[in-house]
This record gives sequence, structure tokens and C-alpha cells, in this order.
Amino acid sequence: MELIFRLIDVVLPFSFAEPLFMKRALLAVLLVAPLCAAMGVMVVNFRMAFFSDAISHSAFTGVALGILFGVDPRITLIVFGVLIGLGIISVRLRSSLSVDTVIGVFFSFAVALGIVIISARKSLTTDLHSYLYGDVLTVSDPELLGMAILFMACAAFLLFFFNQLFLIGINEQQATAQGIKVRALEYAYALLLALVVTVSIRVIGLLLITAMLVVPAAAGRNLAGSVRAMFWWAIAAGLGSGVIGLVATFYWDSATGATIILIACLAFLASQAYASLKK
Amino acid sequence: MDARDQTRSAAIEIDDLHVELGGIEILSGVNARIGRGEITALIGPNGAGKTTLLLAMLGMIPYRGRIVIARDNGLLRVSYLPQRFEFDRGLPVRVMDFLCLSQQRLPLFVVSRKQKRAKALAALGEVEAEHLRSRRLGALSGGELQRVMLASALLEDPTVLLLDEPASAVDRTGEELFMGLVRRLHQERRLTVVMVSHDLSMVTRLASQVICLNRRVLSAGKTAEVLNKSSLSSCFGEDKGLLLHDHPWDAELSCAREPEDGAGPGRSGED
Repeated sequence: MELIFRLIDVVLPFSFAEPLFMKRALLAVLLVAPLCAAMGVMVVNFRMAFFSDAISHSAFTGVALGILFGVDPRITLIVFGVLIGLGIISVRLRSSLSVDTVIGVFFSFAVALGIVIISARKSLTTDLHSYLYGDVLTVSDPELLGMAILFMACAAFLLFFFNQLFLIGINEQQATAQGIKVRALEYAYALLLALVVTVSIRVIGLLLITAMLVVPAAAGRNLAGSVRAMFWWAIAAGLGSGVIGLVATFYWDSATGATIILIACLAFLASQAYASLKK
Repeated sequence: MDARDQTRSAAIEIDDLHVELGGIEILSGVNARIGRGEITALIGPNGAGKTTLLLAMLGMIPYRGRIVIARDNGLLRVSYLPQRFEFDRGLPVRVMDFLCLSQQRLPLFVVSRKQKRAKALAALGEVEAEHLRSRRLGALSGGELQRVMLASALLEDPTVLLLDEPASAVDRTGEELFMGLVRRLHQERRLTVVMVSHDLSMVTRLASQVICLNRRVLSAGKTAEVLNKSSLSSCFGEDKGLLLHDHPWDAELSCAREPEDGAGPGRSGED
């Protein structure tokens, strides 16, 4: 890590990049922002924003369960989030109910369970703030390592399956007819998305993590005229708002996650104006 | 077995096929034989199970019974054109993007391989749609989308092509163009084509064999043999006599014939 921190000193000789916590925060943003944007392209194509919301809100319960049972809440929130994600996909594939109904049920279950636990143990409330709003400035080296591993796993997954996932997003039936293993890919994607959402909560906060997936991808879609352009515009919007948001946080002393999302929303508004003018 | 007999062998054999969806039996004891290198039309009233039969052939729905699709030179490639291709029309997907997505493993955001683009362009050429290559998928008309879908199907180098109501989303001109394409592709690529259609004019002009379906096979055989009033009445119901008089293809029905272009079993003797 020392080497990376020294490299940051050389590349970014600015006051905001001097403190060690800002260097770690910058690394976290550089990993999480493009990761969310890349996975977000599929969230937008699959219309999975509500799915992501259910996972992120389940983190609330994951943290409460961790504290309740004396397990590191950063672990329990990931495990609980992944279980909720796989549960949603599993029931959706076996049920004739619409996907938003299935997600609604899981969402309600996760949040209700969390509220029951927290209301019964009032002392837990104070521990939840950093998860609600995110706390990238306290991110640790092991957490950075976890983010880097997830980044590489998602990069490998997209490298192999992006095209097939995109075809599923265009038309699931046709993708099936073309021999694509739709179910297996949906499970794998949901698993990775649940991991991305729960890991990124440390940076953005559970209230706004879905925005980190959806807003850059939506801006990318407004600006792009092709699949490739949509992907790279989404990455640029995610990365740009992540870094600008983090730097702004240093000077404004505001919550990092919310600042990043605010910048991303401005980028989206600009892209929307461009899309309207183009029409 | 001489060459002609060989080509007359079945491309698809269906034995005692039963499909039940949501507790309702959609297909009940269907037996059919679809000749290799022929254009076979599946006709029948709404809800007869025509699309279900195609989906069963694709293995996309559970069924009881047996469907055997013969290999052609060791290859088994079935392509499918759905009746309606519904998608998010706002997606920034160009026609070439769409065709390359199914062709290459490497993600499109990294590279669009030259060789795959050339193949996609050739497929577009085959369906007279090269000029659409840079258009957004969502901006295509019904007929244009149908031809792009046909190009997408051709990219899989199919031995069997399944078409579900190809005339439903296009106007008369588009239908004529599409029929011409199917006829030409059938000849050039020696495809086995199975086509669901309500358009008996199209069936008469394109298909060499017809299967009349209403949960089970009511009649099957050469187009001219099956497309007669008694057979159609048993398939669509007696009251559908009105249908015959109200449609422009009535005249063509009365002289239902083998396709003039030799697309029937006779021509495939050279296969």
C-alpha cells in the first residue's frame, strides 16, 4: 500500500490528497465508482433498480444482525444482502408473480426484520449512521483489498459475459432461443450485484447506493449512440462524479456518498439536456 | 436410399407430444413429420398451440413426448424468429451492435471484431438490409426489424429456421419482400423452414407442406391437399367459411398449388 500512497503523492500533489484517510478514500472511490457504473449498465437494461434498492436496504438488517450476534457487521451485511438477492431471483424464476411484487415482499421482510431488531435494542441505532450515509473516510486497507478483489471478479465476469447479458437485457426469450444460459447468468449477475451493492455501501451509504448504479448508467445511455459508448460514458460519469464528489467533500465537509450522488445527478441533468437537444 | 429419398427424410420428427401450461393442455398427442429442406406451414386458429409447438421444438418449454431434430452434416442449428420482438426501444443499440453481440465473446465495449462485423454485414446483405447497419434498433420499422432479426438468425448458420407469424408486423409490401427473402434463403442455404402463419396467401405461395393444428394435428400433407375448404373447416370451424369469402386470398386458396419456384421437395433432390 505504501507504494500506491507514494504514487498518489506524485500524481496528485494537492492538499486534499495529503491525509492518509483521503488516499484510502480516493482508492475506494476509484474502485467502487467504475464498478457500480459498469454493473449499473445492466441494472438499467434489466430494470433492476428496485432489486438493488432491496439489497441495499437489507444491509440495514444485516448490520443489526451482526451487532446483535457479535459478528463483524461488515461481514453480516454482505452475507444477508447476498441471501436476499439470491432469494429474490430464486422466487422470481419459480413464481408467476411479477418481479416487482417478489422484490417488494423481500424488501418488506428485510426492512421489517431490521426495524424489529433495532427497535428492541435501542442502543444499535447509533451504529447504523455510518451505513446509512456511508463513511469512505474510515475505510481500512483490508476493505480496500476486498473492493479490489470484487473489482477484478466483476471485470472478469463482464469480460466473458457482457455481450450475453446485454442480449438478455434486450430480449430474454430470444437470448434463450440463441442458446444463452439465461438462468445461470441471471443468478451469477444477481450474486455479483448483491456483492457490489453491499461492499459499496461503505462508500456511498445504503440510502443512495442504487443511485450510484443507476445515475451514471442513465447519463451514459443519454449520451451514447452505441453499446460501447453507453458503457464508457457510464464509467466516465461514475468515475468523474466519484472523484469530484470526494474532493468537494474535503473542502465542504459534507457526507461523501451524498456529494458524489449529487454530482452524478448534475451529470445526468446535463446528459438529459444533451439528449433533448439531439432530438 | 437415393439422393431424393434422403432429402425427403424428416428434419424434425414429433411423436405423441403433450404440452401443459398453467394446468391447461395446449398440445395433446401431436404427431408430425417435417421434411428436410422443405417449407412447412403450421396453420390453425388462435390458441391452437402453433407457437407452443415452435417453442417446444426449441426446447424452451417443458413437454412430454419426443421431438427429434435431425443433424445436417453433423450440425444441429435451429434459429427462431419470434412473432413479436419486444425490447426497450430507447436502448442505444445499433443494428451492427445487435448482430455482433451474439457473434463474439469479447465484450463489445472492448472491441468489435472486424471478422465478426464482416460476417454481420454479409448477413445484412443477404436480407437486403446493409443500409440499416448504423441505425438504432429501436428506430427500425416492423419490416426492417424483421429483416434484421432474419439476419441475426442467419448468423447462426441454421439448418432449421422457425418463423412465428412473419407477416403479422409488416404491411403488404414488407410481406412480399420477406416472402421473397425466405424463398431465396431456403433455396440458397437449403434450409428446413417451419412457419406459423395465419396468412393463407403466404402459406399457399411459400409452403410445400402444411400442418393444420388445433391442439392436435387435424391434417397434414402437401399444401394443395391440405388447403381445401373441408380441411380448413375442420381446422378453423365450419363458421369460418365467412373468413374464406372475406379475404383477398380466397381466390388463391381455390387454386392452392405447389410453389412455382420449385421450393418443394422435388428440388431438394440435388442436396
